[in-house]
Amino acid sequence: MINTSTFLCILTRSTIAGAVVAASVVIGPASANKDPVTPKQLKLYQEAFMEEVRKGDLLFHGDAAMAEQLGVKLSTTGWACAMCHPMASDTHPQAFPKFQQSMAKFATLRDMINWCIEKPNQGEKIDPESEAMKALEAYITWSNTGSVLVPGKY
Amino acid sequence: MSDELDRIRREMHAVLQPPGVRPDDSLQITRRTFIHRSLLFGAASVGQTFAWWPLLNTIDVAHAAEAPFKFAWISDTHLYERSLNTRFVDKVVRAVQEVQAMDPPADFLIFGGDLAQLGKIEELELGVELLKDLKIKKYYIPGEHDWYLDMGKKWGELFGQPNWTFDHKGVRFIGLDTVSRGPDYWTAKKMTPEERMGHMATLDGTVAGAWAGVGREQLDWMQKTLADWDKSKPIVIFSHNPLYEYYPPWNFWVRDWREVNDVLKPYTKVTNIHGHVHQVLYNEIGSMRSIGMLATSWPWPYAPEGVPKLTKPMIRVDPGDPFDGVGWETVSVNADDKVDVEYIMWGRKEVFVQSPEDHDKSIEEVIRPRVADNQYPWANP
Repeated sequence: MINTSTFLCILTRSTIAGAVVAASVVIGPASANKDPVTPKQLKLYQEAFMEEVRKGDLLFHGDAAMAEQLGVKLSTTGWACAMCHPMASDTHPQAFPKFQQSMAKFATLRDMINWCIEKPNQGEKIDPESEAMKALEAYITWSNTGSVLVPGKY
Repeated sequence: MSDELDRIRREMHAVLQPPGVRPDDSLQITRRTFIHRSLLFGAASVGQTFAWWPLLNTIDVAHAAEAPFKFAWISDTHLYERSLNTRFVDKVVRAVQEVQAMDPPADFLIFGGDLAQLGKIEELELGVELLKDLKIKKYYIPGEHDWYLDMGKKWGELFGQPNWTFDHKGVRFIGLDTVSRGPDYWTAKKMTPEERMGHMATLDGTVAGAWAGVGREQLDWMQKTLADWDKSKPIVIFSHNPLYEYYPPWNFWVRDWREVNDVLKPYTKVTNIHGHVHQVLYNEIGSMRSIGMLATSWPWPYAPEGVPKLTKPMIRVDPGDPFDGVGWETVSVNADDKVDVEYIMWGRKEVFVQSPEDHDKSIEEVIRPRVADNQYPWANP
């Protein structure tokens, strides 16, 4: 059952998504990077990014509806990513890629996300190219905005 | 956010940690004591910190007791229903067995809150069932996870009054309720009990606000409770949250820490033992010592700012080992004026950092609050 507010909310988000698609069609991939960027474009790009951050935030905090929407099962134990990583603390996206002792291999942040899904959370690994993975990556990196890149650091 | 935190922290330092004021002068600074004198009056980076600390897993605080005794602390078990999560159950079983095996036995157990994860009747009853195997006297204080589904109804039926006091061998013990006085964030937004609990159960949530507090009425009760107690005799206060300002965005504090300090200021031997933070913490606030305890469920990382300079950090844990970084504690009150807290961290010989790389903050981070829980339909006006 969708109430009016929910509908309006979906409508707003659809409008944003639609606007991004429309902008890419109107402006066109061939010329978009040759013209000076406009505030309107910047706003659209930022909104597209923050929409992924929002989805990632919800997934990271165990939101069942968002997991279902994106077709992923990130946990079977009740545990969510944020329970060990409040505000994505201690995820250290700025340190990847690096040798990850727990996996005994040179790993990316996406490898680490999948490791956490599979081991502590006992969920199902997700496709590294999936929207869910990109959304998680968007949230984790956004939340760590301002951290200094230290790739490889233990 | 950081500017505001800095302002509060500076105020706390000025009000509560004036030069020359320390807990009980009879404290002996020895090799067994992990507070290094040179660290009391200046800043220390992680690198400086680890270099100074002796390699010991005990905390010494000064107290006088009529006779030596020990008690045990377990908290933050965060039990789900058994069918959903057996790991958390296994860890409570292990802690209970180990406390039961203490020799000489502990005089009593303090359960420091967050028995349940989502405040469900089944979760709280599972906790009671698991702790039943422990035959010593048990005292309970609530955590926010126990409370906000039914506003403490089931918890009260099981454990009674959330704040209490008793005297034991020359020490006055006080249990505080620091969780039940959260400002109403649910009525105006027409939340269901489950939604209210969900926001409360999210440590980094932005909707439940500054819920941790002692409250005027309980402060008055504490003042009355202590009125007949000699100001130089030992007091041990249990609370779920730390009684000072560590990191408000995760409610690692009580919002009325100033008033708490006003009540406790006249007493010279106060130790506060708290849960909630799921990590080793040590601080001195005026004449009070504050000690943070491990969870049995999972460890929290240290907050990105505000970790007390007197804290010798616990070791960075292995996320692949559910028994790492968690455990329980024994507290010994000795006749020679000392209270020792020993962290029993499963799977570790060394509880504390041994090198900068052992610290979870060896990779410096700047983090920010989440966004998705504060949009539709929970947006604040």
